[in-house]
Amino acid sequence: MHAERLFDDNVLLEELRKGSDEAVEVLFQRFHGKIYGLAMSILKNESDAEEAAQDVFLTVFQKAHTFKGNSALYSWIYRICVNACLMRLRGKRRQETVSIEEFMPVFTEDGMHASPVGDWSKEVERKMLDKELGNVIKKFTEDLSEKYRVVFVLSDVEGLSNEETAQILGLTVPAVKSRLHRARLYLREELSRYLREGKVA
Amino acid sequence: MNCKELVYLLGDYLDGTMEEQLRGELDVHIEMCDSCTNFLNTYDKTRIICRQVQLNEIPEEFRERLRSFVIAKAREHHKGIEKYLALAAEERRKEVRSLLRAFREKRLSPSLSVLFDAHRNRCEICGAFIRALNGGEDPASVPPEIEEHFAEFLDALPPGEEPYRS
Repeated sequence: MHAERLFDDNVLLEELRKGSDEAVEVLFQRFHGKIYGLAMSILKNESDAEEAAQDVFLTVFQKAHTFKGNSALYSWIYRICVNACLMRLRGKRRQETVSIEEFMPVFTEDGMHASPVGDWSKEVERKMLDKELGNVIKKFTEDLSEKYRVVFVLSDVEGLSNEETAQILGLTVPAVKSRLHRARLYLREELSRYLREGKVA
Repeated sequence: MNCKELVYLLGDYLDGTMEEQLRGELDVHIEMCDSCTNFLNTYDKTRIICRQVQLNEIPEEFRERLRSFVIAKAREHHKGIEKYLALAAEERRKEVRSLLRAFREKRLSPSLSVLFDAHRNRCEICGAFIRALNGGEDPASVPPEIEEHFAEFLDALPPGEEPYRS
């Protein structure tokens, strides 16, 4: 068996079903980082993320025979991961999250911006290499409630299409778009405040 | 088109799924509204810089622990399956043995007798195998192919009919 063959999703699954150690290794190397990162962004806790990652691999072994290959392997695994994380969240006390409404743009009665909007897009470009900015954005996304955070991470951080995100989360495409839009509006506003005040509120 | 409507539609505007005429209306508004131009720029920039956010990396210690866990569980899982398959094969071997014994002792049910005779006349290897038994003792082993053929009789048995008298 040439290792490159295992990069084909269907071959990899077939070998997993046969119990090939090499296939297990390839599966682990290909997905453990993403699984852990995704679990961390949903659960925000290292040991929870580690346990969720274990759950994901167990589910993959148990359900390897049900993978039909009509969706990509990574999106199947992401779905398993999101489900494993949401199951874990269910049993926990609700985490403190911001009220996204406070960050939505404000308009006058006739639909004009209530106060002038500044343009910091050039300014932020200069700060882009700054590690602090990355940490600040991460903190802002962590403050989002899970409803928005999961969509945002899959679509805007992981760069999946709205269709893929919808499929993974079992949502409609319009629902994904609307959550994503609100998450971006929130982040845009948080960033505006951060850049204006030079610190996280 | 006012600012509120424009902000509402920004997602579609930027991902290129917006219909031409509506896009034109947004362009006209953006052209004459500084706040909306700035809003568009900063919204778009937010989207772009978020692409650069890295998911949390797995700590080295976790990675090794997770890897050992995954490898151990994969083997355990596979062993479980192998054990199940071995049990099923053992079960079938026993059934075929009982079937052959019942045949030699002429205890087969009527439909199974018919199936058995028809098959051994038609299938060379099973025919030869049964002739070799020649009313003697239980065979030491049954070749897998023959075992498979005999097991099929059991599956073909009409519902409710016992394969042989005990």
